Amino acid sequence: MKKLLVFLMAALMIAAMAVAGCGGGEKKADNAAGGGVAHKEKLVIGTDADINNLNLQKQQDAANNVILKNTHQTLVFFNNGSQGKERFVPGLATDWKFVDDTHIIMNLRKDVYFNDGKKTPMTADDVKFTLDMAMKNVIKSALAGFVKCTVKDKHQIEIEISSYNNEFIQSLSSVPLSIQSKKAYDDGVKEPWLIGTGPYKFDKWVQGEYCRLNKVKDYWGNSLPATENFAPGVSDVIEFRPMIEASARVMALQAGEIDVCVNPPISDLKFLQDDKKVTVYEQPGTRLFYFAFNVEKKPWDNQKLRQAVACAIDKKSVLDAALNGKGTLQKTILNRGLWGFYDEMPGYDFNLERAKQLMKESGVTGPIKTTLTYATGAPYEQIATVIQANLAKIGITVDLVPMEQAALKAACKDGKQNLFLWRWNEDSKVDFVYRDLFYTGSGSNYHHFADAKADKMIDDVATLKDQKQRMETGIELQKYLVDQCPQVPLYIANLVIAYNKDLKGEYFYGGGNHDWRHAYIAK
Amino acid sequence: MLKYVVNRLLSLIPVILVTSFMIYWAMSLTEGDPAMMIAGDGASQEMIEQIRHDLGLDQPFLLQYFNYMKGMLVGDMGKSYVTNKDVFATFFQYLPNTLYLGGSAVIIATIVSIPLGIYTAIHQNTWKDTAGMVFALFGTSMPNFWLGLMLIIIFALHLRLFPTGGNFGWKSLVLPAVTVGFGLAALITRITRSSMLDVMRQDYMTTARAKGCSEKRVIYKHGLKNALIPIITAIGLQMSLVITGSVLAETVFSWPGIGRLVYESITRRDIPMVTGSIILCSILMCIINLIVDLVYAFFDPRIKAQYSKKG
Repeated sequence: MKKLLVFLMAALMIAAMAVAGCGGGEKKADNAAGGGVAHKEKLVIGTDADINNLNLQKQQDAANNVILKNTHQTLVFFNNGSQGKERFVPGLATDWKFVDDTHIIMNLRKDVYFNDGKKTPMTADDVKFTLDMAMKNVIKSALAGFVKCTVKDKHQIEIEISSYNNEFIQSLSSVPLSIQSKKAYDDGVKEPWLIGTGPYKFDKWVQGEYCRLNKVKDYWGNSLPATENFAPGVSDVIEFRPMIEASARVMALQAGEIDVCVNPPISDLKFLQDDKKVTVYEQPGTRLFYFAFNVEKKPWDNQKLRQAVACAIDKKSVLDAALNGKGTLQKTILNRGLWGFYDEMPGYDFNLERAKQLMKESGVTGPIKTTLTYATGAPYEQIATVIQANLAKIGITVDLVPMEQAALKAACKDGKQNLFLWRWNEDSKVDFVYRDLFYTGSGSNYHHFADAKADKMIDDVATLKDQKQRMETGIELQKYLVDQCPQVPLYIANLVIAYNKDLKGEYFYGGGNHDWRHAYIAK
Repeated sequence: MLKYVVNRLLSLIPVILVTSFMIYWAMSLTEGDPAMMIAGDGASQEMIEQIRHDLGLDQPFLLQYFNYMKGMLVGDMGKSYVTNKDVFATFFQYLPNTLYLGGSAVIIATIVSIPLGIYTAIHQNTWKDTAGMVFALFGTSMPNFWLGLMLIIIFALHLRLFPTGGNFGWKSLVLPAVTVGFGLAALITRITRSSMLDVMRQDYMTTARAKGCSEKRVIYKHGLKNALIPIITAIGLQMSLVITGSVLAETVFSWPGIGRLVYESITRRDIPMVTGSIILCSILMCIINLIVDLVYAFFDPRIKAQYSKKG
């Protein structure tokens, strides 16, 4: 009897071990980066926008770039700042130096190869090919100032730019400028742009349904430690599912169908916070929402009047109405977190008395009737309603003109609007903010602001080599633009994201272009 | 009959011409520059002009339309401005999903509504009739995106019987089909009831009863068969609308259908995709209407005779 019991117990133990080994979807990470952590095989991310084009250089959508970050790699790597002060660090390039104002020598990693099944090494020819191709595509604007790339040897290139620019190197961290395989194009491979050097490769993309990536088993960086930017991936599969309807996305997270819900609606956060299986994470974002003037149209060409309007806007009420307070108010025109961000100027606090005084000083008499143009949908509708009520208190009657986004951009570009609401998201390049929004004649300068002094300071911030002087000029520029008041910055929206409480290895960016390469669901 | 079918198919040509012109013209009047949308924020004017030139958008409207129709003659509906993929191939990638959804919704609606419509007609002016009409009122009044979210909360989130969305097998189809089908069922119930009431008052129904037919035979063989024409018309019309107009249900359930494809193409000013999709949808609607007309012939020999004469 005793022998039988021992036999049965041994058999049970063996059976238990066998079942544990066959556990559904559980895997032990088989690389240094996973560190032997048990994790779910698949990580599913519910996105709030459709994936529409995976040809890196023929698109600029954030929804596409979040995916391409996993499969492709750039010469320069941009981290979210949490790893230390340095935000732009070597990627596929090991180092670079300016030999003079217009020539940069860049050395490349020698251990990188493409995920084409043949381990084709990445060389300087691929880099030159990628940059030359970029100049013929829509992504050309990201390489402003680029003249040419010359191959010096197998792992060294020389880049020539038209003039010195402090942020040219940063440009090379842009996901659409990830290095592609020249050989794949030369060999006539179908969809050669899908071949990258990243820790993941494309398995399947069904437009409108999902995009699935598989971990590259023979990834070139498999031996890199987990702390390295280009460390191998952990999850065996990452799947991105577009789920446009926000409430449905939240419910999918709660039902366990997805592991991450990007941009959950503020109204649903309470349900998520009560859910023990879910973590709701919030951090300062980078997306700036602003109210602005078409300064070419009367009476908005009057600086004092613009300042009066700025004082009449109750920004706190705007933020509460738009996002239930989940954001940071600000005065400056620069996105929070960017180099040189300065928000200490006096600005325009909500003060109706000061607003009325400034209106008197402006010399504009008589009732003012105007229009406020904005894109349909949240949060613009909420913001517009609050501002309409605010301006009524200083005698400005505002008619609200909602428009579809494409129509809004066209109308603003043509200068048809009076007042408008818009947003600008940038987390790496200050020149992208200053030049695109405020430089005379710039395509996104919907304020139609034309100021030689501002233009000069924008150029100086881009080209000054003395970093102290550059910082001072940047601060002076922000103060000047706030004083000129072509726009009234309202708030920076917080990044809010909800995910499976067992999610690890995630890397959030304030602008929403998160890094999922090392993310996994721990068991 | 065959001649009738061929004539109807040939009538698609003017449909295509008129539809394509109207859509192209409408898109050209819409504010919003496709080149700007493609170039993205921060693009230089030079880049935007380059894109406009590459896509032929700097040409006069009539020349753009002519070039588009020239391509259509050889089966080329162009490439999407956004995805760079062939419009025809993209449409046919989404079409099966829409047909599954539309077809399932119509089947659910038909299975529910016809018996319910007959039942309420037979029990006219009783509480059973009232209950049926309340259901019909509820179905036609309720926004289907709200119904969709409610179904997700109950059946997907709490009962875990079906997925919350996506296209992952037959289970994913149930909730969206019920959402779309519910509104259809309500409408078809009303039409069935109304049609049956008309038929039940006819003399031949009294004759059938007088001849000794069972009530079941009277209702289904003599009544329903004659009441079917307006019901089939309603089902056919709704099928056409469901195929092209389920964008709300498709968005709530992340169902990759044509409604969503067209809506997103419009917001992105993807002219080739919008034009191509709407032309193909028009052709599809014409084919569905033709099928409905042929089904009439199956149920009503008088109509079949008319087709044979006209054909």
